[in-house]
Parts: sequence; structure tokens; C-alpha cells
Amino acid sequence: MKRLALALALLAHPALAQEDLTVGFAIAKSGWMEAYDTPAATAAMIRIDEINAAGGLLGRQIKVVEADTRTDRAESAKAGLDVLDQGAEMMVVSCDYDFGAPAALVAEGEGMNSFFLCAEDVKAGIQGVGPNSFSASVLAPVQGATMAEWAHAKREARTAYVLEDTFIEYNKGICTGFNWMFPQLDGAKIVGSDTFKNDDASVASQITRIKELPDEPDVIMLCSFMPGAAAAVRQLRAAGINSLILNGSAVDGSYWLEATPDLSGFVVPVQGSIYGDDPRPEVAAFNAAYKAKTGNSPASQYAYPGYILIDLWAKAVERAGTVDGAAVTVELEKMRDEPTAFGPRSFTSELHHQNTALMQIIEITGGKPARVDEWRISQPVPLDALMNK
Amino acid sequence: MSLQLLFDAMALGGIYAVAALGIALIFGVMRLVNFAHGQFIACAVFALIVPSADALAVMGLGALPAPVLIPLILLIGAGLAVAAEALVFRPMRNASPVALMVSSFALGVALQNLLLVLYGGRPKAVSLWAELGHPVRIAGASVPLLQLIVVAAVVVVLAGLALMLRKTRLGLEMRAAAEDFTMARMLGVRSNRVISAAFALSGGLAAVVALVLVAQTGVADVRMGGQIMLVAFIATVVGGMGSLSGAVAAGLGIGAASALLQAGLPAEARPFRDAFLYGGVILVLLFRPQGLFAPVGAKPRV
Repeated sequence: MKRLALALALLAHPALAQEDLTVGFAIAKSGWMEAYDTPAATAAMIRIDEINAAGGLLGRQIKVVEADTRTDRAESAKAGLDVLDQGAEMMVVSCDYDFGAPAALVAEGEGMNSFFLCAEDVKAGIQGVGPNSFSASVLAPVQGATMAEWAHAKREARTAYVLEDTFIEYNKGICTGFNWMFPQLDGAKIVGSDTFKNDDASVASQITRIKELPDEPDVIMLCSFMPGAAAAVRQLRAAGINSLILNGSAVDGSYWLEATPDLSGFVVPVQGSIYGDDPRPEVAAFNAAYKAKTGNSPASQYAYPGYILIDLWAKAVERAGTVDGAAVTVELEKMRDEPTAFGPRSFTSELHHQNTALMQIIEITGGKPARVDEWRISQPVPLDALMNK
Repeated sequence: MSLQLLFDAMALGGIYAVAALGIALIFGVMRLVNFAHGQFIACAVFALIVPSADALAVMGLGALPAPVLIPLILLIGAGLAVAAEALVFRPMRNASPVALMVSSFALGVALQNLLLVLYGGRPKAVSLWAELGHPVRIAGASVPLLQLIVVAAVVVVLAGLALMLRKTRLGLEMRAAAEDFTMARMLGVRSNRVISAAFALSGGLAAVVALVLVAQTGVADVRMGGQIMLVAFIATVVGGMGSLSGAVAAGLGIGAASALLQAGLPAEARPFRDAFLYGGVILVLLFRPQGLFAPVGAKPRV
């Protein structure tokens, strides 16, 4: 009835229809990136629906326009221009820095806010796009540092081996955070490191090097993502290496676990648990809303940043009283431990990213993932460590 | 240490050798560099699971017992390649090699997008023969059973192919066609039969690579054939375009060199392993631009 009344009101006053606030999604709706962008975009829509149902933003309903980047860097810039033509006043861009940046730069050129759906590279923000660009996710080095400190405190990890997939910047970020945190912990030592490439047909040589160590390391920090990470884990376990394997958030989700049947001792830091065991009622409520909208629970934690970004942006818009990029940026940069459904978030004039965050610890035991703990690193990852690749 | 390294090198080299052979076979009879070969590999992998865009993969054919599964996947690989030949390359039989190459690229892109539509863009877990990963001890080296099987399978495939090429009529025709296609046709070699057979064999070899890859990594990804295809193509160039044994030798060599570089390079240089590897390839081509084992036909005749 409310909707009908609203629709009638709009019909009666055509001028009001112009008042819709337009958010443009320049994201991958086809190509391989689609599998990552769609869940986060769906989560963003859930928050937009909630805001609209509660009366809108600044009294205006939020309207969504979309354009497809087709998982192509050149198409990403075109998609940015496309949503701009459709009247976008804020732009949501693809998950990954490389694929989202061309569209984000279009937004930046218009002095408009842009949000990466889930980029975890420091460049996806001030450093790589400009002063009005933000990312809703948690920096990759924070994930690596979280793994280092948690494993040291809770699993008595004293020796670590670092296995880095050099394929994308995200992986390097995870290892950067781990390499910064682990050696400063009491009695902890990185006993070796090696590299591989995500699409390597085999990591046998790397495994041989680990097996040549005098003692099996307590933990192996695996800085990789799918499908290379699953392939590496399968080969590590097949070779009889039983160290606790630490990872970044990118390997969250149970969809790949079949690759290593009965996997145990595998730990992932996430922003919220998709497995129905997150202790926070807000997370459970979101998971239920997501299931109601799509028919499935989220396949990984990467849906969550989409919800967070609309939430934070809408709060900043309310406080600024406008959607003007610079004014909203000022409000976003005032946020210190701003509560969200997935933990507190902060932005500063130097960093439009999370350099520390409360992370849920997911451990896979006997092929079953479960939340076992939560952890927030004792000190934020410093900007120097972030920039020094 | 050294024996372990030898097995690591041979297992990787073996995969590259089989992939390179798949490309060299087709180049031999048709002067076509089939850039869709990587997608043939990916298609053979995805044939194991039920088409669905869901994140969780459900085993389809992959659930069959190995004695049924292996021939079936080989047949699927071969069938796909033969169909590609009949539908795409046969109508272009008289086109220039460049046009053929471009159409093979197009076929590759089309196949990749078909997989994206059917299976979605997310990598899928395929637990095929996980028990093969368990290590076996041989003379102080701990070698996953799968590596032994890969090496053995490569030897069997190569020996079988060599026998076929030397001892059967089809093999003779294929070698004749590779040597001089026009002359062979004039002497009564049926071109369609030879070309179809070459594609079938090539597709079968792609399926072998697919099975080994899946058993090794446990994942299916739409982009998975690309890297192997690249290495295999380089191997056929280094081995001498059109030379089957050259492709095999170069494939083995590149795989072994990659494993040795990974083991031997200092930690700071290891991320640039592939730069060293392809630097070596450039060196080889500088000294032997026609490749290491160029067939006689490749040299200009005076």
C-alpha cells in the first residue's frame, strides 16, 4: 500500500521523479569476474532496499543503474562513462583494483565518490585513484598480519614458512602483512620462503624445498587465491606436510574444499562467517536476507563488503546532507570505528581502507569449516609497510 | 635431493610434452597453430562435472570408475577436436595460415565463453583420484604416486604414438602429409581422413593433459588451459615447427628447466623464474631460429 501511495504521489508530481538518487554500478556482469562482483553487488542492493523501505536517503529513493565491464579493463572505463550518462551520482566499481580502477577514475574525474566492491590493495583508494575513492573491504596485509598474530597467540606458532603466489598484487599484500607482523612476535621466526604462480601445473619443486627443512614449520603462510590456492593445498597435503596452513580471506568458502578431501588445519580470516555460526545477530540477519533474495547463502565472505559500503556511504551522505563527492568524503574520513554489521570501520585522510579490523577466524577441520575465534591485530599495519609492497 | 628433483622435473616436463605434441600433430598436417588447444584441455576438465553456475561442483562423469572414465574423457576430447575441425577448420582448408590461426583464437574464445555460460566464472573443486597424491618412497626420494603415473603415462602415450606413426597405414599417411601435403594427396593419401585423425589424436592428448592436471590440482577453472597452451606452443617452436619428436623433447626440456630453475635460483630471483626460462628460449632461438629439431621440409630448398 505504501508503495502504491508513493507511486501515485510520484505520478501526481512528475517533478518528484527527478529526485531519485542514482547509484551507478560499473561492474562485471559477464566474464570470470562476475562470480565475485555479483554477490557483493547483491549485498549492496539489499542495503539499498532497506534504506528505500525506511524512507530513502535525504528523503530521496535510491535508484540503481548498471553497466557491464565484461571483466575487461578497457570496457571498465566505458562502463563508468555509461553509468555516468545514466545519471549516476555515486559509483560502485568492480571488486578488483585492476578491473575497477578505470571506472573509478571516471568517477574521480567528475568529483564523485567511488567504492570498490571488495578491493584489498592499498591502491584502490587515494593512492591509486584519487581523494574520493574508497574500498569497503579489509586490506590484504591486515589479513596476513591477523593470521601471524593469531597463530602465534593461539596456536603457539614459532616457525613459519611463507609460500607466495606472485600472480596478483593481493597475494603480495597478504605476505607483506605476515612478513611485517610475524618476526616482531616473541620467539617467532620465518624459516624460509618460496614463490609460485597461480597457474603453475605443479608446485612439486616448492614442496621439495619445504621437505628439506630440518623440521616441519609450525605454520605455512599461503598467499594465494583460487584456483592456485586449492591446487597448492592439495599438493602440500598429498606430500604429507601437516603444518597449519594460513591464508587470506580470498580462499573463504566451502565450494573448493572437495579439491582436498578431509582437509584439516586450514585457517582463513574473514569479515563475517557464511557458515551460520557467526555470533553477531546482524550477520545472521544479513545471511537470511541474502538467502531470501538469491535462494542461497553467500558462497564466500565477499558479499559482505557490498553491504558495508552502501551502509557507510549512506551514513556519510546523511551527515553531509548532500551526495557531493568532496563533502561526503569529509564525513567518511571522520569515521573512527564506525559500527557496521560486520565490525567497526575507519577512514582517514591518508587511507580509505581498513588497516586494522576485527576478523572472524574460520578453521577447516575434517573438510568442515567453522568459526573458531575472532581477532583484531594489536596495532594497525603502518602505511610504510602497506606501501612498501 | 637429486632424484626428487628429477621426478619433479620429469612430471612437469611430461605434461608439457604431451600438450606440445597435441599442437605439433595438427601443425604437421595442416600448418595450423591451434590456439584453441588450451580450451580443449579446459573443456575436457569441465566434462567431469555437471554443468551449473552454482559454487559447489557436482561430479557428473567424474564419478565413474577410472576404467570407464579415462576412455570416455579421451573420446570427448577427441570428439571435440574432430568437431572443431569439421565445423571451423575444414571450410577454411584453403585459407592462409594466418587466417587459420586467427580462427583458432576465435574458437578458443568461443569455447571459453561457452564454459563461462554453462559453469560460471568461479573455479570449481573436482576431487578426482585424490588417493593418487599419496607419496611413495623410492631410493630416498618421496614421490607422489601421481607423478610416477604421469611419467609412466607420458611414456606409454609417446611410445604408442610413435608405434602408430611408424607401423600403421594411417601413421604413414600422417607422416607423409606432414612432409608434403600436396604430394601426399597426389599419391593417394585421403586428406580428410588424415586431418581428422590428427585432430582426434590431438584432442585425445588434450584430454590426457586435462586428467593429469585435475588429478594434480583438484580444481577446474575456465582459464586453466591458457598457461599450458602457451608453454606447449613455445615448445613446438623451440622443437622445430612440424617436428613431433622435437616438440616432445622441447616440452620435456622446458618443464625440466622450469623445475630446475625453481629449485636452483636464489630466493630473490625466484619470482622471475619465467623470465629466466623464456630468456633461455630466446637464446635457443637466436642460435637455431628454425628450432632444435627442424624437419627437413622446413628448410628453404635451393
